[in-house]
Amino acid sequence: MARVIFHVDMNSFYASVEQAYHPELKGKPIAIAGNPKERRGIIVTSSYEARAKGIYTTMNVAEALKTCPELIILPPDFPKYREASKAIFTILKSYTNLVEPVSIDEGYMDVTEVSKERHPLELAKEIQLRIFNELDLPCSIGIAPNKFLAKTASDMKKPMGITVLRKREVREKLWPLPVLKMHGIGESTAKKLHTLNIYTIGDLAKADERLLKQKLGKNGVRLIRRANGIDTREVDPNAIYDTKSVGNSTTLPYDIIEMKDIETTFLKLSEKVAERLEAKNLCGSTITIQIRDCHWKNQSKSKTVQNPIYLEKDIFREAMELFSKAWDGTPIRLLGVTVSNVIDKKHFAEQLSIFNFEQFAKEEPIYEIIHSMEKKFGKGIVQKGIDVKKKSYASKTSFSKDFFDDLIDK
Amino acid sequence: MKFEIMRDRLLDGLNDVTKAISSKTTIPILTGIKIDVTDNGVLLTGSDADITIQTFIPAEEDGNQIINIVETGSIVLQARMFNEIVRKLPTNDVEIEVKNELQTHIRSGKTEFHLIGSDASEYPLLPEISTENRFEIPADLLKSVIRETVFAVAASESRPVLTGVNWNIENDELICVATDSHRLARRKVKLENLPNGIESIVIPGKSLNELNKILGETSNPVEITMSNQQILFKTDHVLFFSRLLEGNYPDTSRLIPNEFKTNIKLDGKTFLQAIDRASLVAREDRNNVVRFETLEDDAVKISSNSPEIGKVEEQIPVESIEGEELVISFSAKYMMEALKAIHGQDVIIQFTGAMRPFILRSVHDDSILQLILPVRTY
Repeated sequence: MARVIFHVDMNSFYASVEQAYHPELKGKPIAIAGNPKERRGIIVTSSYEARAKGIYTTMNVAEALKTCPELIILPPDFPKYREASKAIFTILKSYTNLVEPVSIDEGYMDVTEVSKERHPLELAKEIQLRIFNELDLPCSIGIAPNKFLAKTASDMKKPMGITVLRKREVREKLWPLPVLKMHGIGESTAKKLHTLNIYTIGDLAKADERLLKQKLGKNGVRLIRRANGIDTREVDPNAIYDTKSVGNSTTLPYDIIEMKDIETTFLKLSEKVAERLEAKNLCGSTITIQIRDCHWKNQSKSKTVQNPIYLEKDIFREAMELFSKAWDGTPIRLLGVTVSNVIDKKHFAEQLSIFNFEQFAKEEPIYEIIHSMEKKFGKGIVQKGIDVKKKSYASKTSFSKDFFDDLIDK
Repeated sequence: MKFEIMRDRLLDGLNDVTKAISSKTTIPILTGIKIDVTDNGVLLTGSDADITIQTFIPAEEDGNQIINIVETGSIVLQARMFNEIVRKLPTNDVEIEVKNELQTHIRSGKTEFHLIGSDASEYPLLPEISTENRFEIPADLLKSVIRETVFAVAASESRPVLTGVNWNIENDELICVATDSHRLARRKVKLENLPNGIESIVIPGKSLNELNKILGETSNPVEITMSNQQILFKTDHVLFFSRLLEGNYPDTSRLIPNEFKTNIKLDGKTFLQAIDRASLVAREDRNNVVRFETLEDDAVKISSNSPEIGKVEEQIPVESIEGEELVISFSAKYMMEALKAIHGQDVIIQFTGAMRPFILRSVHDDSILQLILPVRTY
């Protein structure tokens, strides 16, 4: 059965929230920048008034002010954005439970059931107006039979757009576009596709599946399907709570090259990642570091360890080891650490080694007591440690979904 | 240089020496095979700088002519190309001729290839090994010694020395040990005329794997010559050189306990099958954990539980359980590999505690010993 999927995408979200809080900013070019005083101030988002004057995301502050001297630059206020985000999702959930938040300012809705009684277009208009009237925030909505097309549709008209994209329109509307315009294709994938003489989404749709699988792996097959308007992913309200990885990165106030500065940065990042893993009771077996140098060249290096890690010192040690292999000495602009392949710590089993078993051997008497108690009173009578979920906002950026954890225990 | 050879014999030789050749080498000439033609036959050499393999094809064998040597000489030919060409030649008779220094002609039937070779004098010299420390071991015994230990070497390079197998000579015994730090395999062999000049060396696991592929299942002796940097394995027609790993191998003898708290005798085959079944649901879990528990009346319980997949529980009878009761978790993979290495019916497993290494061996002797470190569950 054909489904009706909405993709709700807030328009220049942070800037819009600021304008809603401070009506005097309406109609003016404003921008949110990481930290307006330091160099790392790059524009995170800007109002449509600012965009009209040539401001774009990732532009640095100095450059932005040169382009548009009357630009009002504000520091980000994440608690405010989180509050607004919660209010938006509350409105979306009043229509259906099938709401999947993707990030702080966008989400999918499966309105197939609701559409039996109301026309989807009318429904979309009402949702858009409610968010605008009640929260003073603009959004665009894409209406389509699946997630990929809905997301593509919401992008077609901004701000305050509502776009319907039917599967039969894919050939006419998507196929002439360059592959880079497609969701899920970035610079590097586009480059790989170009080497295969695939330039437009239409080329991709007609590409040889085996060849693409060879070049791009599973993703290649997925992209061909998407280019044909096929996407079978369901709207999963819990997807956001399945943490796949925990990572933090930081743009440095100045380019660094001293080992001492690098270590300090990695230590801070490891601490944050460890704190967030702790808050979610997770540990992970793959660790990745990200390096961006002063020429904006990005590289990442990762490693999978036998025993999942979660402690700051272990994360730091692995990160430094990866770093020493990856770094070519170029001054560094950004560093990041991510732990992925995460699992619940309760399911964590540590393979002992000849170098460390002795420290665990000391715990044997405890295990013997637990075992004998379990035999007498039944399984689960004794547990190690207590499951207490801590709140952590160690990641306070727009990319983090940690704050959705607050929505779960309502 | 010019000779005629039977294609099958040339292919056999190429098969052996190409095992040493790696396309990733940093020394360009090592992507080639060196061919030396003498009056006695043809010598082929392949190398990746760590491993060097040489094979000699005699001109005459048991009174039959295999090679017709017209002119002696040497050349280095691109290994992959040469191998493919020889494999695809139309007839079993191959003629190879080098003219104008490097112009190589390969003829078979009505087919003729022209290849440009490289100067053989640029090919690195063979490592020199003094013949002082030398002993012999039957090929089939050497193969089983390799198979019973090499699987336990470390796959990761974080401790390079653990990617090799440690060979120790103690009196009349050769003791081979491999460990990736999570489990250990030890094989002892009594041999005659062991040298006493070198006590301990570490042979890369990769070298032993390649050697195992080349050796035949015969009882013909393999002559082994050791130095501090190199080891040479010599059979009738093949010379196999390997670089040794540097660094101190950890002292593993103290890890093997002498006293045990729980001794279990069981049928290795039945146990292996049960672990194999339990590992089906454990597999997704990175550490492949299986729980092992002693029961009363000479039985043990094997279970595994992966929250997302499901669980399995099985009781199997054992021959005997002596000592304390025990609950322990371990990697199914390590257990299966250990049981396969012992390949016997009557196995004894000896434990000293849930967080300490335990050992497996045949009830009859300890020539093959496997040690496994348990898994600690959270």
